[in-house]
Amino acid sequence: MHCFPVKISTASARRAPSAIERIIRLWAIVTILGAGFSFIFQPGPLAAQDAWDDKVLKVGVLEEPRTLNLWLASDSWSSKVLELIYDRLYEREPQGLKLIPWLAKTMPVCDKTQCVYTLTLREAQWSDGTPFTAHDVVFTGNFIKKFKVPRYYSRWNFVKSIKAVDDHTVKFVLSRPKATFLTRTLTTPIAQKKQWEPIMAEAQKTKKPLQSLLRYKMENPVGTGPFALKTWHRGTFVYMTRNEHFFGRGVEIAGRKLGPYIHGIIFKTYGTSDAAILALRKGTIDFFWYGIQPGYLDSVKRDKGIKLFYNQKSALYFMGFNLRRTPFNDLNFRRAVATLIDDNFIIRRILQDSGSRMKSVVPPGNTIYHCADVTQYGEGLSRNNRIKAAYRILKDAGYNWAVPPVNAQGEVVPGKGMILPNGKPLKPFTILTPPADYDPHRAMSGMMIQEWLRIVGIPAVSRPMSFGAMIQKIKARHDFDCFVLGYARLSLDPGWLRSFFHSSQDRPRGWNMTGYKNPAYDALADTAENTLDQGKRQAVVFELQRIIARDLPFIPLYNPLLVEGARIDRFKDWVPMLEGVGNVWSFCEIKPATPAD
Amino acid sequence: MKRYVLGRLAQIFVILFVILTVLFVLFRLAPGDPVERMIDPSMTPEDAQILKVELGLDQPLWVQYIYYLKNFFTGNFGHSFHYGEPVVEIIAERLPNTILLFTTAVLLSALVGISWGKIASWHKGKKVDILLTIASLVTHTMFLPWLALLFVWIFGYKLDLFPITGLIYPEVWLDPQAGFFRKGLDVLYHMVLPLFTLFIIYFGTYLLVMRSSMLDTLREDYIVTARAKGLTEKDIRNRHAAPNAYLPVVTSVGLSLAFSINGGALTETVFSWPGIGRELVFAVSQNDYPLAQASFLLIATVVLFANLLVDVLYAYLDPRIRY
Repeated sequence: MHCFPVKISTASARRAPSAIERIIRLWAIVTILGAGFSFIFQPGPLAAQDAWDDKVLKVGVLEEPRTLNLWLASDSWSSKVLELIYDRLYEREPQGLKLIPWLAKTMPVCDKTQCVYTLTLREAQWSDGTPFTAHDVVFTGNFIKKFKVPRYYSRWNFVKSIKAVDDHTVKFVLSRPKATFLTRTLTTPIAQKKQWEPIMAEAQKTKKPLQSLLRYKMENPVGTGPFALKTWHRGTFVYMTRNEHFFGRGVEIAGRKLGPYIHGIIFKTYGTSDAAILALRKGTIDFFWYGIQPGYLDSVKRDKGIKLFYNQKSALYFMGFNLRRTPFNDLNFRRAVATLIDDNFIIRRILQDSGSRMKSVVPPGNTIYHCADVTQYGEGLSRNNRIKAAYRILKDAGYNWAVPPVNAQGEVVPGKGMILPNGKPLKPFTILTPPADYDPHRAMSGMMIQEWLRIVGIPAVSRPMSFGAMIQKIKARHDFDCFVLGYARLSLDPGWLRSFFHSSQDRPRGWNMTGYKNPAYDALADTAENTLDQGKRQAVVFELQRIIARDLPFIPLYNPLLVEGARIDRFKDWVPMLEGVGNVWSFCEIKPATPAD
Repeated sequence: MKRYVLGRLAQIFVILFVILTVLFVLFRLAPGDPVERMIDPSMTPEDAQILKVELGLDQPLWVQYIYYLKNFFTGNFGHSFHYGEPVVEIIAERLPNTILLFTTAVLLSALVGISWGKIASWHKGKKVDILLTIASLVTHTMFLPWLALLFVWIFGYKLDLFPITGLIYPEVWLDPQAGFFRKGLDVLYHMVLPLFTLFIIYFGTYLLVMRSSMLDTLREDYIVTARAKGLTEKDIRNRHAAPNAYLPVVTSVGLSLAFSINGGALTETVFSWPGIGRELVFAVSQNDYPLAQASFLLIATVVLFANLLVDVLYAYLDPRIRY
């Protein structure tokens, strides 16, 4: 034994680090050194300048595409990429929004008596260099019909047969006249027969062919569009190059000489608007393909190199009622609510002037079908006068109050204890809205409406709810009172007016969520669906909007403005249109800016 | 020990089965309908029904459950509703990014936190202790997205020292001349800001745990004995006190490492880091059952095994513990 074991015990305590400790230390040291090293050598874009092309547009997006399988893609981020790869037979021109031939050469020739449409196609090529023919169109239509591809089937189920008369002529026979044939069926993206035929053959060998097709991992989509996929680095970027075989190069369509004049597009994913806007201001991206919120506008405006584009959206934000319940089934009650809602206030204060009024359910940006000549409620009235007008409507309809909102002297006071015409008290009811983190505008609008209704003694409670739960309550179970919802990117064809309000759609999971039933409306909506003449159809659609404005199953609230930012010191000649400058026309027309610009 | 490990493995198997069932039930009970997320007003209820059939959601719940169990035991975790791809592939693509960032952040924070915790406890009540303790409390309670955005704004935008979020520069990765080294540096360069942010948030936890554990240890008799033997302060701290104070820290680091595979949805979102955390949020919010179930199952499995590993490590670190 040692008397003075100091040195010995010190030595024994000086234990060598274990293997785990060594690995951890090594990892940390390598990371720190690597991070420092990487900072010193900054392998940023400048380092790659020699290999870089300044004719490549860098677009910031908030999500990457979920899939490039044309038949499965349901999200807007996948659509942004797919729309540049796949073409349609007809496209909307940017100014008047009229359908013009795109892959088709002319407008279809129609034999109305037999519901036969014949159309000729352009000389075009797929991005792999093979010719685009009528057989591709026939294949696409038959593919959708055969497998009942959910996303497109309703556009094609009335097409009895599709035949290729020759390589550039297609004949469609419809089972009945259908107005949406041109606007919806012929605007379906066309898939390449050569690429999809073997995939289809493989799928048919499986137990569930459609499931196999929807699950097909498309890594090299071949399209006729202006761009072709080059690389998709999952989670970070998508790189598309100009399609050298694009039919539109140097061609003038709708008075516009098409390119693309850029060499390619990189879609860079940013998790938040904050990061994407900083990247735009820094010049890391040239265009942020998403609406810029009002709070960011001042800082973006200060940058001279960025131009903000203000465009209308094809969107509808509205309040809906459950007409299956009392008192929402009373038209006078709905009119009183509409009178109390000050949409100007919502636009000014909640949307911070970044929106426009919705006089009708069809958005004003839809210049073909929007009808402004519909009944308006509370137009130009002050808050007190709105209350008085609503009070009058309700009073005349037999409603009573313990304390009326307008006293004997005609002054506005807080109303209390509202009683229905049947003598029963009006119980508190809920206005469902999505939560503020999902959509602050709708959540705030719900709260404002709650306050406006409470002033006249209507016991409304605005209740934010997760979007999924809300849709389930409203659409599947019909278990709700009122709701504030919105539809972005509504089709320009107003076929949805039938889906939303036709009595046949009042069923669980049907689109007629309010339970609106009006035989006159049903008949007109059916007529609109079968009217081929656009002028006549427009008149019918206007009438449908007047009926909705009169019957108020929906109260349109606002149409948000789409504000997008692009670096015009990098690329010029953006094409504004409904739904923003992020459109196929812009990508076919933008050119690199020169110092003179 | 062998018997203990085998017993724990059997336990893990039973727990996993319970988790498997709970996950299935929870996602079906959660509000929202996957089909509603995938349709638009141009589609009819009949189209929606076709989609439902193809997603396998038309079957009664118990049938879906049987298929789910059968698929699980045959290693098939299903296909994502939105991606249309096997969920295993989606997770495999995202997981390495998450592990790279979060595991590194945990290890780095643990190393620094533990050593600073030792220093703080050794100088209890002095300036260095007060400073480190306050710094840990402040940084630990900071709101991560706010701090992350602040760093992005200062270091990424104002000072232009680092990229504004992301994992890589497309320009570098599209450059045919860029080799493995340059691409690796590019990832590390993008990693600096998120790593620094996570380090700021994490290190305080380990510092405080280590400090408190060390303070307990320093009251022990063997520390007095060590001093009486004339050992240097450094030796007493590093060789006698610290090893005994490691036990609770090991648990904390072990579990943090296990949980690091679920990433952090907020961190990954703010830094546009393509990891598993963002996918998890997406899967849950869009009712993408197969993707959400597989992701949670993976986390549960890793956490369960990490727990086992920590228990085994305990025996290694503390000879008094025997199973």
